[in-house]
Amino acid sequence: MDTLLNVAHGFGVALAPINLLYCFIGVFIGTLVGVLPGIGPISAMSLLLPVTLSGTPESGIIMMAGIYYGSMYGGSTTSILVNIPGEAASVVTCIDGHEMAKQGRAGPALGISAFGSFFAGTFALIALMLVAPKLASVAIAFGPAEYFSLMVLGLVVLTFLTQGSMAKALLMACIGVVLGLVGLDSITAQPRLTFGRLELIDGIGLVPVVMGLFGVAEVLINTEQAIRRDIINAKITHLLPSKQDWQASAGPMGRGTILGFFLGILPGGGAVVASFASYALEKRLSKTPERFGNGAIEGVAGPEAANNAAAGGAFIPLMTLGIPPNVVMALLLGAFVIHGLQPGPLMITQNAGLFWGIVASMYIGNLMLLVLNLPMIGMWVQLLRLPYNILFPLIILFTIIGVYCSSNNVFDVYVMIAFGVIGYFMRKLGYEPAPLVLAFVLGPMLENNLRKSLILSQGDLSTFVTRPISAACLIFAVALLIGPLLPALRKKRELVALDEGA
Amino acid sequence: MFQRSRLKIALAAIGMLASAAAGAQEYPTKPITLIVPWPAGGSTDLTMRAMAESASKVLGQPITIDNKAGGGGTVGPATMAAAAKPDGYTIAQIPITVFRLPLMQDVSWDAAKDFTYIVHLTGYTFGVTTSAEGPFKTWQDVVDFAKANPGKVTYATPGAGTSLHIGMEQIAGMAGIKLTQVPFKGGAETNAAVLGQHTMLQADSTGWKPLVDAGKLRLLMVWTGSRSPNYPNAPTLKELGYPMVYDSPFGIAGPKGMDPKIVAKLHDAFKKALEDPAVIATLAKYDMVPNYKNTEDYKKFVGEVTESERKVVEKLGLTKKSN
Repeated sequence: MDTLLNVAHGFGVALAPINLLYCFIGVFIGTLVGVLPGIGPISAMSLLLPVTLSGTPESGIIMMAGIYYGSMYGGSTTSILVNIPGEAASVVTCIDGHEMAKQGRAGPALGISAFGSFFAGTFALIALMLVAPKLASVAIAFGPAEYFSLMVLGLVVLTFLTQGSMAKALLMACIGVVLGLVGLDSITAQPRLTFGRLELIDGIGLVPVVMGLFGVAEVLINTEQAIRRDIINAKITHLLPSKQDWQASAGPMGRGTILGFFLGILPGGGAVVASFASYALEKRLSKTPERFGNGAIEGVAGPEAANNAAAGGAFIPLMTLGIPPNVVMALLLGAFVIHGLQPGPLMITQNAGLFWGIVASMYIGNLMLLVLNLPMIGMWVQLLRLPYNILFPLIILFTIIGVYCSSNNVFDVYVMIAFGVIGYFMRKLGYEPAPLVLAFVLGPMLENNLRKSLILSQGDLSTFVTRPISAACLIFAVALLIGPLLPALRKKRELVALDEGA
Repeated sequence: MFQRSRLKIALAAIGMLASAAAGAQEYPTKPITLIVPWPAGGSTDLTMRAMAESASKVLGQPITIDNKAGGGGTVGPATMAAAAKPDGYTIAQIPITVFRLPLMQDVSWDAAKDFTYIVHLTGYTFGVTTSAEGPFKTWQDVVDFAKANPGKVTYATPGAGTSLHIGMEQIAGMAGIKLTQVPFKGGAETNAAVLGQHTMLQADSTGWKPLVDAGKLRLLMVWTGSRSPNYPNAPTLKELGYPMVYDSPFGIAGPKGMDPKIVAKLHDAFKKALEDPAVIATLAKYDMVPNYKNTEDYKKFVGEVTESERKVVEKLGLTKKSN
């Protein structure tokens, strides 16, 4: 009953006209930065952080939160239409989403990703309302040993991400791990692979790598192809997915939502890892895995639901423990702190209006996104319909601005350009960037948590199997690896193999 | 030929002196850039913004903040030392890593020569916490347990080579105990580590505040000179018998070779800012204590701090390899 009263109170706060306005501004900016490649939620939020100072804490935080989940919506549009992820969590959406667009099914792809996002966002918020305080304790049960096992599971997922040659994918993963090692060793603070360069001490940034490999490389490769204008020039129809599409997508959406929500709670990859994991899960469960990579709607619905659910789940550790599970949440924590508020176990009771107001506004924001974005997709497409000789330089310009804004560091711009060139050659030679990015994110966390758990267990390796959560993750990883070898599943393995050989 | 060129040089020198003097008289005539080597929105950034806001009123010119994060807070000052003119229009916050990192690896700057130190401002509040459900009630409990079980006491820090790591090792050295550091990334992770009892202790700046207030964590000690008004029950290092204050102090500096008159103007402006009630309130929010040192004392302090850092870094085996 208390919860209901609180929710009602929260809607009272969120429906105040000024808060509605901020919520709208937030989701609008969010969608915009999501659509524009290069500028992600992180740069937009850090640029707008000072703006929140002028209003009340509710308004400021409602706007910041809106930018975050709005960008999750917007990111899928560019992924589907031009094969450039608007932000990192949309990398997977490119795989099947763009394939669908090439087949003239851009409408259903955009539609299903919007509905999937809405569905997942709604679920995540209801869960946030009901179980937030209880779930917070799950997050702190994860120590270094648990994270290590989770990362192992994450890297196993990588084997399902590949469309082409497995050997090439593993090579990319190895390069990703090595690139992740650059910087100060997180345990002993010794610089590794920095070649005496000060800029490399903090390691290579994820943003320039992703923007280079996906954004710049895509533009470079497109300049030499006879460009297919038909995808975004064609009128986008059938935004409302057909009955068949719904039937195919319902399961992936549901699973993606739950998977994304729980991965979102855990510190680390959040939305990015959730979208990868959901894609892998759907491919594994599918009766026709060979369709993945060739425009399977499941490959859009699942990951899009997962990254939005993760965006919602990520609020739980922040709001209940003051522990931001990712960079975006850390920025939001900054926004709270600017207003003299410390998110933590006491916030829900001491600042009930604020907490429930933010949660309620997120629900309203999700609704706004759905109502606004389906009709407005046309407008976003207009943005992308500019002639390529204008659009491409603009994309490059935005990626450069975006990368520079996220760190105020020219070096990162060079890194992005370098990875753009590398990404161009990778594509020419059939190497996929996705495994590299995943390994780049997970590798350092894997190493760091392995070493931390061994420090804590005083060198005893059994710590990974005696701790229940860790053991469960490892068992699941092993099952995923040897599953295809079991006779009962042999048929499926052959299909997967066929796919990998393709 | 020789004569003429000498004359030219002399004239040029006079010209430069004159323009420099005029520059110092009128300074500042345009906005000043203050490099904050941390991301926007963090506690250092927000307190520096408050101080810049207040100092700009005194100077009559706006101070714009340029967040240049990286290298543990050294990229910003290093960039300034390498590229900025010593005209007083580019200054930077100088965190303690500027003195520490050169001891650990080859860097592009010399902390003793490449900066004009202006004024010392403040430092952080560090503290050691443990889970409220854990066995330790006081720091003495920790020392007793560690003596019986050498190396078994684990503590989470926001990173290896940070002030927290180095401070804890100094304390352990004085107490004659052996502690095991587990380096995490930043305050959010150390909070989770000690809350989930993955590590026994947490050494961090005041990120633990809401959890201590909520009674989930127990504050065992603070590293400031006197007790924190917010936590009057937590003893200081000195009270526990460790004669030191560890607060990772910081001030501001410009590139080398700044005009003393400009330095004095900046010094006065920031000194005033430190007395501004709005600045004091912002500092208090983050449990930072004003720690004013004038230009001369700051310069001396840099030498002292570099020496004491050298000793600890050597003891921890983090010294750069001479090759």
